[in-house]
Amino acid sequence: MSSPEASAAVGAPAGVGDAPAVDTPRTAPARPRGGGLASLLASETVTLLRRRRTWAMLAALALIPILIAIAIRIAGPSGPGRGPAFLDQVAGNGLFVGMTALVVATPLFLPLTIAVVSGDTIAGEASHGTLRYLLIAPAGRLRLLSVKYAVAAVFCLAAALTVVVVGTLVGWMLFPVGPVTLLSGGQIPVGEGLLRLLAIGAYVAVSMLGLSAIGLFASTLTVVPVGAMAATAILAVVAQIVGAIPQLEWVHPFLFTDRWFDFADLLRSPPSWESFGDNALLQAAWIAVFGGLAAWRFATRDILS
Amino acid sequence: MSPRRTGPSRFRARTVVPAVGVPVAIAIAVLVPMQANATVDLPDKTPEELVAFAKASDVDALSGTIEQRSELGLPDLGALTGGAGGGSGTGDAEGGGDPAASDTLSDLVSLATGSFDANVYLDGERARLQVLDRMAERNVYVAPGEAWFVDSESQTATRLSVADGADVEGLEAELERLADEATAKAEADLPDGEQLPTPQQLLDRALDRLDETTEVSVGTDGRVAGRDVYELVLVPRTDETLVGEIRVAVDGENGVALAASVTARGADAPAFETGFTDVSFAAPDASVFDFEPSDAFTVQEETLPLPSVDELRQRLAEAEAREGSGADAAADAPHPVVHGEGWATVVEFDAATAAEMMAEHRGDDPVAPATEPPFTEGEALDLLDTLTTPVEGGRALQTSLLSVLFTDDGRVLAGSVPVDALVGYAESGR
Repeated sequence: MSSPEASAAVGAPAGVGDAPAVDTPRTAPARPRGGGLASLLASETVTLLRRRRTWAMLAALALIPILIAIAIRIAGPSGPGRGPAFLDQVAGNGLFVGMTALVVATPLFLPLTIAVVSGDTIAGEASHGTLRYLLIAPAGRLRLLSVKYAVAAVFCLAAALTVVVVGTLVGWMLFPVGPVTLLSGGQIPVGEGLLRLLAIGAYVAVSMLGLSAIGLFASTLTVVPVGAMAATAILAVVAQIVGAIPQLEWVHPFLFTDRWFDFADLLRSPPSWESFGDNALLQAAWIAVFGGLAAWRFATRDILS
Repeated sequence: MSPRRTGPSRFRARTVVPAVGVPVAIAIAVLVPMQANATVDLPDKTPEELVAFAKASDVDALSGTIEQRSELGLPDLGALTGGAGGGSGTGDAEGGGDPAASDTLSDLVSLATGSFDANVYLDGERARLQVLDRMAERNVYVAPGEAWFVDSESQTATRLSVADGADVEGLEAELERLADEATAKAEADLPDGEQLPTPQQLLDRALDRLDETTEVSVGTDGRVAGRDVYELVLVPRTDETLVGEIRVAVDGENGVALAASVTARGADAPAFETGFTDVSFAAPDASVFDFEPSDAFTVQEETLPLPSVDELRQRLAEAEAREGSGADAAADAPHPVVHGEGWATVVEFDAATAAEMMAEHRGDDPVAPATEPPFTEGEALDLLDTLTTPVEGGRALQTSLLSVLFTDDGRVLAGSVPVDALVGYAESGR
């Protein structure tokens, strides 16, 4: 179903991407009425994709592999064991640009963009005063919340794939491409290597789902989107710091960041899908807990704006 | 109909239930399996029956994941050697040393004493240990006639093979004959003779000392990797040793050792433990054993110096002659002096002899590059100073399970005893 507000929002004022607070305000009459879950999801996704901020963040993520590739191209290969994982392999095989970029982006850049999108979900609408108009439609609060979360999840996938796809393309242009060396020491053909890269992109996207749920909950707590974004981003960093302290080892398996870097397991021979499953389960638990908290908070809260 | 009204009243019941219910469900999902672990009751076995049961185990194919945790109190050797190697990049060049060879050695040491998670695959004569490091991997592939050590971090693959022309089959036959002989002899000496298959090395080592020095008992039945296990507990009868107890978990169905731990005397938690977290006794897919090094890897060849059958016989004869000639010969012979017995055994050798033995070993190895010590003398001394603490008459390295004493007059004493005992032997032996 095509969204009727499409033409209304295209001419967004200049400078929209600068700060979350001045994002395109929505006008109530433009919302689709009586549409099903699918049309709500479609219109929300379109809204996400129409924001300059979204594209600015994806462009920033795309810069990471580009910078890595250009730096290696100019400065020459680095020795084994120095710099981020897989950096030493980039010069020999361009397909590793995307991998290296993911290693670099996962601790901070990626969570930052996820925090911005998920922290904005509810608080952004509330700060624009559009939340109650959204709820006038017979969509229902839970349904709106799920759609908002689904859109944040779409962004997770888009962000991870941006890094992988741009990295692969840049690597292909600047470096020789050949059979991919696995961690186990063997090689797989380029085609299978590309499939593994895609799987790793999916792994990273799944890794970010728990953080998205936390952002969603934070977003229901406040009407100031920046607050929710900052809280989410800080939590992502705090969780990684806790994960680095050996004295807190008992808590590590429960951290949503605990398996963020295990995506390299897909580069083993045989590929270990176990960590993919474990990671998905861990993220599902965080989604369940924080999704539940968000649902409870959103359903019981007074919507004043 | 205003949104303020619809919200709370319509949704509270529907949303509070999942918000509370989901965490409760998760808690139940976590706790229930824990409860299920609590009761395991296998048919009772005496220690002797259990040892015999484990010995009779004939499993030759398995795959699983092991978790090894080690808190030996050893200084981080990896960091030290790594630092020395990195810092003396020019030193390597001018010394003409072979850093890779020493790396392989320290890698193997860290495999034996470090903490890691690894996958184990075993099928007949082929085996693979896959150590799962974060963003990296170490592999040991073993196949008939060759073995690979592969390290993804340094991008090297080292192939160990027997020299061309070595009479492997003849040697195997000879070794088999010797093993049979030894077994027959051991069985004649001890009713609990020692002829264990190699995969159960820890159990093997523990059984080696199964005599009056050790109290052997059967502990509480438990669960390891989801399988019911017997627990064999070995406690040294002497309190001169640092070892408090050794526990070995033996699969209740097929007798494979699934876990082992060593606890230091007086400690609550094991200093070293290793065990399966997941195991299957089906033959693993054959492809896991295949290894073809990637173009990106540096491939090194190392040949194992295998003696010919005659050489082996000659050496054994020499060794026997040495033993036969008694303690007088032992003083000149280039093999270590032994003090104490059982758990409190201390081995003493002088540094010159040790160096000689190493040199001799290298001489035997025609293909390996002329290796030099990984450190210059100064670096080695610095390293020794960092690792050890000064004691009377030398410097000592104390870990929770092992002590090593380097005396000022160049002897080295090592044993699973307190440093004081080593100092005592060092003084009396002077």
